[in-house]
Amino acid sequence: MSPRVVARLRIGLLLVVAILIQTTLGNDLRAFGVAPDLMVLVAICAGMTGGAESGAWVGFWAGLITDLFLVTTPLGLAALTYCLIGAGVGALRSWVLPESRLLAPVAALVGTATAVLLWVVLGDMLGQGQLLDAGRTWLIRVVVVEAGWAAVLALPVSWIYGWAARGLVGADRVGSTGGGAVRTERVPLR
Amino acid sequence: MAVYRRSSRTRYVLAVLVLAALTLVTIDARSNGTGVTSDIRARANDIFSPLQRATHAALQPIGNFLTGALDYGSLRRENQRLRDQVAALQNQSVQAGAEESAAAQVMALRDLPFVGSISTVTAQVIDNGSSNFETAVTIDKGTNRGIAVNQPVVAAGGLVGTVQAVSVTTATIVLITDPAFNVGVRLDAANVGTAQGLGLTEPLRVTVDTTGAPHVPKLVKGQAVVTSGLEYENFPPNIPVGTVASYSLTAGAIEPDITLTPLVNLNQLNYLDVLLWSPQ
Repeated sequence: MSPRVVARLRIGLLLVVAILIQTTLGNDLRAFGVAPDLMVLVAICAGMTGGAESGAWVGFWAGLITDLFLVTTPLGLAALTYCLIGAGVGALRSWVLPESRLLAPVAALVGTATAVLLWVVLGDMLGQGQLLDAGRTWLIRVVVVEAGWAAVLALPVSWIYGWAARGLVGADRVGSTGGGAVRTERVPLR
Repeated sequence: MAVYRRSSRTRYVLAVLVLAALTLVTIDARSNGTGVTSDIRARANDIFSPLQRATHAALQPIGNFLTGALDYGSLRRENQRLRDQVAALQNQSVQAGAEESAAAQVMALRDLPFVGSISTVTAQVIDNGSSNFETAVTIDKGTNRGIAVNQPVVAAGGLVGTVQAVSVTTATIVLITDPAFNVGVRLDAANVGTAQGLGLTEPLRVTVDTTGAPHVPKLVKGQAVVTSGLEYENFPPNIPVGTVASYSLTAGAIEPDITLTPLVNLNQLNYLDVLLWSPQ
Protein backbone atom coordinates (compact mmCIF):
# COMPACT_ATOMS: atom_id res chain seq x y z
CA MET A 1 0.00 0.00 0.00
CA SER A 2 1.29 3.45 -0.83
CA PRO A 3 2.19 5.83 2.00
CA ARG A 4 -0.70 8.08 0.99
CA VAL A 5 -3.26 5.29 1.39
CA VAL A 6 -1.78 4.26 4.72
CA ALA A 7 -1.86 7.86 5.91
CA ARG A 8 -5.50 8.20 4.89
CA LEU A 9 -6.37 5.01 6.75
CA ARG A 10 -4.60 6.34 9.83
CA ILE A 11 -6.52 9.59 9.62
CA GLY A 12 -9.77 7.64 9.28
CA LEU A 13 -8.86 5.60 12.35
CA LEU A 14 -7.98 8.81 14.17
CA LEU A 15 -11.44 10.21 13.41
CA VAL A 16 -13.11 7.04 14.72
CA VAL A 17 -11.06 7.11 17.91
CA ALA A 18 -11.72 10.81 18.34
CA ILE A 19 -15.50 10.41 18.09
CA LEU A 20 -15.43 7.48 20.53
CA ILE A 21 -13.47 9.56 23.04
CA GLN A 22 -15.71 12.54 22.39
CA THR A 23 -18.94 10.61 23.01
CA THR A 24 -17.74 8.62 26.02
CA LEU A 25 -15.38 11.02 27.78
CA GLY A 26 -16.49 14.41 26.50
CA ASN A 27 -19.29 14.83 29.03
CA ASP A 28 -16.85 14.18 31.89
CA LEU A 29 -14.59 16.97 30.64
CA ARG A 30 -17.23 19.67 31.01
CA ALA A 31 -15.84 22.86 32.51
CA PHE A 32 -18.53 25.41 33.44
CA GLY A 33 -20.93 23.02 31.74
CA VAL A 34 -19.12 23.15 28.37
CA ALA A 35 -17.47 20.12 26.78
CA PRO A 36 -14.51 20.25 24.37
CA ASP A 37 -14.93 19.39 20.70
CA LEU A 38 -12.22 17.02 19.50
CA MET A 39 -13.59 16.66 16.00
CA VAL A 40 -13.24 20.31 15.01
CA LEU A 41 -9.79 20.28 16.57
CA VAL A 42 -8.76 17.42 14.28
CA ALA A 43 -10.08 19.42 11.31
CA ILE A 44 -8.06 22.45 12.39
CA CYS A 45 -4.94 20.30 12.76
CA ALA A 46 -5.54 18.91 9.28
CA GLY A 47 -5.69 22.43 7.90
CA MET A 48 -2.54 23.49 9.69
CA THR A 49 -0.61 20.41 8.62
CA GLY A 50 -1.80 19.77 5.09
CA GLY A 51 -3.23 23.03 3.88
CA ALA A 52 -6.70 24.09 2.78
CA GLU A 53 -7.55 20.97 0.79
CA SER A 54 -6.64 18.59 3.60
CA GLY A 55 -8.49 20.78 6.05
CA ALA A 56 -11.60 20.70 3.86
CA TRP A 57 -11.54 16.92 3.40
CA VAL A 58 -10.84 16.03 7.01
CA GLY A 59 -13.23 18.72 8.23
CA PHE A 60 -16.02 17.36 6.04
CA TRP A 61 -15.62 13.79 7.31
CA ALA A 62 -15.08 14.88 10.92
CA GLY A 63 -18.24 16.94 10.76
CA LEU A 64 -20.21 14.18 9.07
CA ILE A 65 -19.22 11.69 11.74
CA THR A 66 -20.23 14.22 14.38
CA ASP A 67 -23.60 14.69 12.66
CA LEU A 68 -24.28 10.96 12.96
CA PHE A 69 -24.43 11.34 16.74
CA LEU A 70 -26.63 14.44 16.86
CA VAL A 71 -30.42 14.18 16.67
CA THR A 72 -31.78 17.72 16.79
CA THR A 73 -29.71 19.21 13.96
CA PRO A 74 -29.71 18.09 10.32
CA LEU A 75 -27.15 15.70 8.91
CA GLY A 76 -24.54 17.76 7.12
CA LEU A 77 -24.55 20.88 9.30
CA ALA A 78 -21.38 19.99 11.20
CA ALA A 79 -19.85 18.64 7.95
CA LEU A 80 -20.42 22.01 6.30
CA THR A 81 -19.08 23.96 9.28
CA TYR A 82 -15.97 21.89 9.94
CA CYS A 83 -15.17 21.72 6.21
CA LEU A 84 -15.16 25.52 5.99
CA ILE A 85 -13.14 25.89 9.18
CA GLY A 86 -10.54 23.31 8.12
CA ALA A 87 -10.19 24.94 4.73
CA GLY A 88 -10.02 28.40 6.23
CA VAL A 89 -7.32 27.47 8.72
CA GLY A 90 -5.39 25.71 5.97
CA ALA A 91 -5.61 28.72 3.68
CA LEU A 92 -4.46 31.12 6.38
CA ARG A 93 -1.65 28.75 7.30
CA SER A 94 -0.40 28.71 3.72
CA TRP A 95 -0.72 32.40 2.98
CA VAL A 96 -0.31 34.36 6.14
CA LEU A 97 0.63 32.67 9.38
CA PRO A 98 4.30 32.54 10.35
CA GLU A 99 5.97 29.62 12.05
CA SER A 100 5.70 29.78 15.78
CA ARG A 101 5.42 27.44 18.72
CA LEU A 102 2.25 29.26 19.68
CA LEU A 103 0.72 28.73 16.25
CA ALA A 104 -1.10 25.50 17.10
CA PRO A 105 -2.79 26.67 20.30
CA VAL A 106 -3.67 30.09 18.87
CA ALA A 107 -5.01 28.64 15.63
CA ALA A 108 -7.01 26.07 17.60
CA LEU A 109 -8.41 28.73 19.90
CA VAL A 110 -9.45 31.09 17.11
CA GLY A 111 -10.57 28.28 14.80
CA THR A 112 -12.75 26.64 17.43
CA ALA A 113 -14.34 29.91 18.50
CA THR A 114 -15.10 30.67 14.85
CA ALA A 115 -16.44 27.14 14.34
CA VAL A 116 -18.93 27.48 17.20
CA LEU A 117 -20.22 30.80 15.92
CA LEU A 118 -20.32 29.60 12.33
CA TRP A 119 -22.22 26.46 13.34
CA VAL A 120 -24.84 28.48 15.19
CA VAL A 121 -25.17 31.04 12.38
CA LEU A 122 -25.42 28.40 9.64
CA GLY A 123 -27.83 26.40 11.77
CA ASP A 124 -30.03 29.43 12.32
CA MET A 125 -29.98 30.17 8.59
CA LEU A 126 -31.03 26.59 7.91
CA GLY A 127 -33.99 26.76 10.27
CA GLN A 128 -32.41 25.48 13.48
CA GLY A 129 -33.57 28.32 15.71
CA GLN A 130 -33.35 26.13 18.81
CA LEU A 131 -29.56 26.60 18.79
CA LEU A 132 -30.13 30.12 20.08
CA ASP A 133 -32.85 29.19 22.59
CA ALA A 134 -30.33 28.69 25.36
CA GLY A 135 -29.45 32.37 25.19
CA ARG A 136 -26.54 34.63 24.40
CA THR A 137 -24.82 34.03 27.73
CA TRP A 138 -24.65 30.31 27.09
CA LEU A 139 -23.36 30.89 23.55
CA ILE A 140 -20.58 33.15 24.81
CA ARG A 141 -19.69 30.62 27.49
CA VAL A 142 -19.51 27.83 24.92
CA VAL A 143 -17.31 29.91 22.60
CA VAL A 144 -14.89 30.86 25.36
CA VAL A 145 -14.62 27.51 27.11
CA GLU A 146 -14.52 25.39 23.95
CA ALA A 147 -11.82 27.64 22.53
CA GLY A 148 -9.92 27.30 25.80
CA TRP A 149 -10.16 23.55 25.67
CA ALA A 150 -8.94 23.61 22.07
CA ALA A 151 -5.92 25.70 23.02
CA VAL A 152 -5.05 23.24 25.81
CA LEU A 153 -5.48 20.13 23.63
CA ALA A 154 -4.01 21.61 20.44
CA LEU A 155 -0.42 20.48 20.87
CA PRO A 156 -1.07 16.80 21.69
CA VAL A 157 -3.80 16.51 19.03
CA SER A 158 -1.65 18.19 16.39
CA TRP A 159 1.24 15.88 17.26
CA ILE A 160 -1.03 12.85 16.90
CA TYR A 161 -2.47 14.15 13.66
CA GLY A 162 1.01 14.86 12.32
CA TRP A 163 1.96 11.24 13.01
CA ALA A 164 -1.24 9.97 11.36
CA ALA A 165 -0.79 12.18 8.29
CA ARG A 166 2.81 11.19 7.58
CA GLY A 167 2.90 10.25 3.93
CA LEU A 168 0.50 13.00 3.01
CA VAL A 169 2.93 15.86 3.48
CA GLY A 170 2.99 17.12 -0.04
CA ALA A 171 0.75 20.07 0.30
CA ASP A 172 1.99 23.61 0.68
CA ARG A 173 4.12 24.19 3.72
CA VAL A 174 4.67 27.62 5.09
CA GLY A 175 8.16 28.61 6.05
CA SER A 176 9.58 31.89 7.18
CA THR A 177 12.65 33.80 6.26
CA GLY A 178 14.96 35.28 8.84
CA GLY A 179 13.26 38.64 8.58
CA GLY A 180 9.85 37.25 9.46
CA ALA A 181 8.36 37.45 5.98
CA VAL A 182 6.40 34.46 4.80
CA ARG A 183 7.14 32.37 1.73
CA THR A 184 5.52 29.28 0.37
CA GLU A 185 7.60 26.30 -0.64
CA ARG A 186 6.64 23.07 -2.32
CA VAL A 187 7.62 19.81 -0.67
CA PRO A 188 7.67 16.78 -2.97
CA LEU A 189 5.50 13.79 -2.10
CA ARG A 190 7.34 10.91 -0.52
CA MET B 1 1.35 27.63 -12.91
CA ALA B 2 1.64 24.70 -10.49
CA VAL B 3 0.64 26.98 -7.67
CA TYR B 4 -2.33 28.25 -9.69
CA ARG B 5 -3.48 24.71 -10.50
CA ARG B 6 -3.29 23.67 -6.86
CA SER B 7 -5.24 26.77 -5.76
CA SER B 8 -8.02 26.15 -8.29
CA ARG B 9 -8.13 22.48 -7.35
CA THR B 10 -8.50 23.42 -3.69
CA ARG B 11 -11.36 25.76 -4.53
CA TYR B 12 -12.99 23.04 -6.60
CA VAL B 13 -12.70 20.50 -3.79
CA LEU B 14 -14.07 22.98 -1.27
CA ALA B 15 -17.02 23.83 -3.51
CA VAL B 16 -17.85 20.14 -4.03
CA LEU B 17 -17.69 19.40 -0.30
CA VAL B 18 -19.82 22.42 0.59
CA LEU B 19 -22.41 21.39 -1.99
CA ALA B 20 -22.38 17.83 -0.67
CA ALA B 21 -22.94 19.07 2.89
CA LEU B 22 -25.76 21.38 1.81
CA THR B 23 -27.36 18.53 -0.11
CA LEU B 24 -27.29 16.34 3.00
CA VAL B 25 -28.79 19.15 5.09
CA THR B 26 -31.56 19.67 2.55
CA ILE B 27 -32.38 15.97 2.30
CA ASP B 28 -32.43 15.62 6.08
CA ALA B 29 -34.55 18.71 6.62
CA ARG B 30 -37.09 17.58 4.04
CA SER B 31 -37.28 14.05 5.39
CA ASN B 32 -38.44 15.35 8.79
CA GLY B 33 -36.83 12.66 10.90
CA THR B 34 -37.63 9.77 8.57
CA GLY B 35 -36.02 8.62 5.35
CA VAL B 36 -32.52 7.81 4.23
CA THR B 37 -30.63 10.19 6.53
CA SER B 38 -32.29 8.86 9.67
CA ASP B 39 -31.56 5.34 8.42
CA ILE B 40 -27.92 6.31 8.00
CA ARG B 41 -27.84 7.67 11.55
CA ALA B 42 -29.53 4.55 12.90
CA ARG B 43 -27.06 2.23 11.12
CA ALA B 44 -24.12 4.30 12.31
CA ASN B 45 -25.37 4.11 15.91
CA ASP B 46 -25.79 0.34 15.59
CA ILE B 47 -22.24 0.00 14.26
CA PHE B 48 -20.69 2.27 16.84
CA SER B 49 -22.64 1.11 19.90
CA PRO B 50 -20.42 -1.93 20.72
CA LEU B 51 -17.35 0.29 20.36
CA GLN B 52 -18.99 2.94 22.55
CA ARG B 53 -19.86 0.37 25.20
CA ALA B 54 -16.29 -0.91 25.27
CA THR B 55 -14.80 2.58 25.27
CA HIS B 56 -17.23 3.72 27.95
CA ALA B 57 -16.28 0.79 30.18
CA ALA B 58 -12.58 1.33 29.60
CA LEU B 59 -12.61 5.09 30.11
CA GLN B 60 -15.14 5.33 32.93
CA PRO B 61 -12.49 5.41 35.69
CA ILE B 62 -10.70 8.21 33.85
CA GLY B 63 -13.99 10.02 33.34
CA ASN B 64 -14.88 9.74 37.02
CA PHE B 65 -11.46 11.10 37.97
CA LEU B 66 -11.78 14.02 35.55
CA THR B 67 -15.30 14.81 36.72
CA GLY B 68 -14.09 14.83 40.30
CA ALA B 69 -11.12 17.00 39.44
CA LEU B 70 -13.13 19.53 37.43
CA ASP B 71 -15.97 19.65 39.95
CA TYR B 72 -13.75 19.40 43.03
CA GLY B 73 -15.10 22.52 44.69
CA SER B 74 -18.75 21.63 44.25
CA LEU B 75 -18.07 18.05 45.24
CA ARG B 76 -16.49 19.18 48.49
CA ARG B 77 -19.47 21.42 49.23
CA GLU B 78 -21.91 18.67 48.34
CA ASN B 79 -19.94 16.22 50.47
CA GLN B 80 -20.07 18.55 53.46
CA ARG B 81 -23.77 19.18 52.94
CA LEU B 82 -24.45 15.48 52.84
CA ARG B 83 -22.34 14.91 55.94
CA ASP B 84 -24.35 17.54 57.78
CA GLN B 85 -27.57 15.98 56.56
CA VAL B 86 -26.54 12.54 57.73
CA ALA B 87 -25.57 13.88 61.11
CA ALA B 88 -28.95 15.60 61.46
CA LEU B 89 -30.80 12.42 60.57
CA GLN B 90 -28.83 10.46 63.08
CA ASN B 91 -29.56 12.99 65.74
CA GLN B 92 -33.27 12.56 65.04
CA SER B 93 -32.90 8.81 65.37
CA VAL B 94 -33.75 8.19 61.64
CA GLN B 95 -31.11 5.52 61.46
CA ALA B 96 -29.35 3.49 58.83
CA GLY B 97 -32.55 1.56 58.19
CA ALA B 98 -34.24 4.64 56.71
CA GLU B 99 -31.15 5.41 54.65
CA GLU B 100 -31.00 1.87 53.37
CA SER B 101 -34.68 2.03 52.46
CA ALA B 102 -34.17 5.27 50.54
CA ALA B 103 -31.11 3.86 48.78
CA ALA B 104 -33.03 0.71 47.87
CA GLN B 105 -35.81 2.79 46.30
CA VAL B 106 -33.28 4.81 44.35
CA MET B 107 -31.46 1.74 43.16
CA ALA B 108 -34.52 -0.40 42.41
CA LEU B 109 -35.75 1.17 39.18
CA ARG B 110 -38.40 -1.49 38.83
CA ASP B 111 -40.22 -0.28 41.95
CA LEU B 112 -40.79 3.29 40.87
CA PRO B 113 -44.19 4.25 42.31
CA PHE B 114 -45.07 6.66 39.52
CA VAL B 115 -44.62 4.05 36.78
CA GLY B 116 -47.52 1.93 37.96
CA SER B 117 -48.34 -0.92 35.62
CA ILE B 118 -46.55 0.50 32.57
CA SER B 119 -44.02 -1.90 31.08
CA THR B 120 -40.48 -0.66 31.16
CA VAL B 121 -37.11 -1.46 29.61
CA THR B 122 -34.03 -0.73 31.69
CA ALA B 123 -31.04 0.45 29.68
CA GLN B 124 -27.53 1.66 30.35
CA VAL B 125 -26.27 5.00 29.11
CA ILE B 126 -23.35 4.51 26.69
CA ASP B 127 -23.00 8.08 25.48
CA ASN B 128 -23.60 10.87 27.95
CA GLY B 129 -23.72 13.45 25.20
CA SER B 130 -20.94 15.93 24.66
CA SER B 131 -22.64 18.43 22.36
CA ASN B 132 -22.93 21.91 23.82
CA PHE B 133 -26.15 22.69 21.94
CA GLU B 134 -27.99 19.43 22.35
CA THR B 135 -28.69 17.71 25.63
CA ALA B 136 -29.13 14.08 24.76
CA VAL B 137 -27.81 10.69 25.85
CA THR B 138 -27.65 7.35 24.10
CA ILE B 139 -28.71 4.06 25.68
CA ASP B 140 -27.84 0.51 24.73
CA LYS B 141 -31.35 -0.72 23.91
CA GLY B 142 -33.38 -0.03 20.80
CA THR B 143 -36.18 -1.44 18.66
CA ASN B 144 -34.99 -4.93 19.52
CA ARG B 145 -36.48 -4.36 23.00
CA GLY B 146 -39.62 -2.59 21.87
CA ILE B 147 -38.37 0.97 22.25
CA ALA B 148 -39.94 3.50 19.90
CA VAL B 149 -39.70 7.22 19.24
CA ASN B 150 -41.54 9.55 21.69
CA GLN B 151 -41.64 7.07 24.55
CA PRO B 152 -41.02 8.69 27.95
CA VAL B 153 -37.82 7.95 29.83
CA VAL B 154 -37.48 8.07 33.60
CA ALA B 155 -34.91 7.46 36.30
CA ALA B 156 -35.30 6.93 40.03
CA GLY B 157 -36.05 10.60 40.73
CA GLY B 158 -38.49 11.26 37.92
CA LEU B 159 -38.69 12.30 34.30
CA VAL B 160 -35.48 12.28 32.28
CA GLY B 161 -36.66 12.93 28.73
CA THR B 162 -38.11 11.28 25.68
CA VAL B 163 -36.85 8.97 22.95
CA GLN B 164 -35.90 11.11 19.97
CA ALA B 165 -34.29 8.56 17.67
CA VAL B 166 -33.97 4.80 17.77
CA SER B 167 -32.02 2.11 15.96
CA VAL B 168 -32.02 -1.64 16.39
CA THR B 169 -29.62 -1.64 19.35
CA THR B 170 -29.56 1.95 20.59
CA ALA B 171 -31.84 4.86 21.32
CA THR B 172 -31.12 8.55 21.75
CA ILE B 173 -32.92 10.33 24.55
CA VAL B 174 -33.43 14.08 24.49
CA LEU B 175 -33.28 15.34 28.06
CA ILE B 176 -35.84 17.60 29.72
CA THR B 177 -33.26 20.41 29.80
CA ASP B 178 -32.93 20.50 26.00
CA PRO B 179 -34.33 23.75 24.55
CA ALA B 180 -36.40 21.70 22.11
CA PHE B 181 -38.10 19.73 24.92
CA ASN B 182 -41.36 20.57 26.60
CA VAL B 183 -43.79 18.67 28.84
CA GLY B 184 -47.22 19.41 30.24
CA VAL B 185 -47.16 19.77 34.02
CA ARG B 186 -49.82 20.08 36.71
CA LEU B 187 -49.29 23.08 38.95
CA ASP B 188 -52.35 22.71 41.18
CA ALA B 189 -55.84 21.26 41.02
CA ALA B 190 -57.03 23.93 38.58
CA ASN B 191 -53.91 24.92 36.68
CA VAL B 192 -51.65 23.24 34.19
CA GLY B 193 -48.65 24.55 32.30
CA THR B 194 -45.80 23.63 30.00
CA ALA B 195 -42.26 23.17 31.25
CA GLN B 196 -39.54 23.87 28.70
CA GLY B 197 -35.83 23.17 28.84
CA LEU B 198 -33.34 26.02 28.57
CA GLY B 199 -30.03 24.15 28.53
CA LEU B 200 -28.13 21.61 30.58
CA THR B 201 -27.19 23.93 33.43
CA GLU B 202 -30.42 25.95 33.44
CA PRO B 203 -33.71 25.33 35.26
CA LEU B 204 -36.87 24.53 33.33
CA ARG B 205 -39.15 27.45 32.53
CA VAL B 206 -42.86 26.96 33.11
CA THR B 207 -45.46 28.71 31.00
CA VAL B 208 -48.82 28.68 32.72
CA ASP B 209 -51.92 27.86 30.70
CA THR B 210 -54.48 29.97 32.50
CA THR B 211 -57.29 29.55 30.03
CA GLY B 212 -60.46 29.02 32.04
CA ALA B 213 -58.68 28.77 35.40
CA PRO B 214 -60.42 30.48 38.34
CA HIS B 215 -57.16 31.66 39.90
CA VAL B 216 -53.43 32.01 39.26
CA PRO B 217 -51.42 29.04 40.55
CA LYS B 218 -49.59 29.70 43.78
CA LEU B 219 -46.53 27.57 44.31
CA VAL B 220 -43.84 27.52 46.96
CA LYS B 221 -40.14 26.95 46.49
CA GLY B 222 -39.28 23.29 46.73
CA GLN B 223 -42.78 22.11 45.81
CA ALA B 224 -42.74 19.06 43.53
CA VAL B 225 -44.38 19.30 40.11
CA VAL B 226 -45.59 16.30 38.12
CA THR B 227 -46.67 15.64 34.54
CA SER B 228 -50.25 16.54 33.77
CA GLY B 229 -50.93 13.59 31.45
CA LEU B 230 -53.69 15.44 29.65
CA GLU B 231 -55.15 14.22 26.38
CA TYR B 232 -52.66 14.51 23.48
CA GLU B 233 -49.76 14.78 25.90
CA ASN B 234 -46.75 12.56 25.22
CA PHE B 235 -46.33 11.59 28.87
CA PRO B 236 -48.48 9.65 31.32
CA PRO B 237 -49.70 11.59 34.36
CA ASN B 238 -48.03 12.00 37.74
CA ILE B 239 -44.39 11.49 36.77
CA PRO B 240 -42.26 13.83 38.92
CA VAL B 241 -40.58 16.46 36.78
CA GLY B 242 -38.93 18.90 39.16
CA THR B 243 -39.21 21.12 42.18
CA VAL B 244 -40.04 24.79 42.10
CA ALA B 245 -36.77 26.73 41.96
CA SER B 246 -38.33 30.18 41.79
CA TYR B 247 -41.81 31.69 41.77
CA SER B 248 -42.63 35.34 41.29
CA LEU B 249 -45.81 37.16 40.40
CA THR B 250 -45.30 40.82 39.67
CA ALA B 251 -48.16 43.25 40.22
CA GLY B 252 -50.40 43.41 37.18
CA ALA B 253 -48.91 40.33 35.54
CA ILE B 254 -51.30 37.69 34.24
CA GLU B 255 -48.95 34.78 34.76
CA PRO B 256 -46.29 34.09 37.39
CA ASP B 257 -42.68 33.40 36.45
CA ILE B 258 -41.93 29.85 37.50
CA THR B 259 -38.76 27.81 37.10
CA LEU B 260 -38.18 24.19 38.04
CA THR B 261 -35.08 22.28 39.05
CA PRO B 262 -35.15 18.79 37.55
CA LEU B 263 -35.49 16.09 40.16
CA VAL B 264 -33.07 13.79 38.36
CA ASN B 265 -29.35 14.60 38.35
CA LEU B 266 -28.89 14.72 34.57
CA ASN B 267 -25.10 14.93 34.85
CA GLN B 268 -24.83 11.47 36.40
CA LEU B 269 -27.05 9.21 34.34
CA ASN B 270 -26.07 5.56 34.28
CA TYR B 271 -29.27 3.52 34.07
CA LEU B 272 -32.62 4.66 32.73
CA ASP B 273 -36.07 3.16 32.32
CA VAL B 274 -37.93 3.59 29.05
CA LEU B 275 -41.69 3.46 29.50
CA LEU B 276 -43.27 1.34 26.78
CA TRP B 277 -46.20 3.69 26.65
CA SER B 278 -47.83 5.78 23.96
CA PRO B 279 -50.57 8.41 24.21
CA GLN B 280 -54.13 7.13 23.77
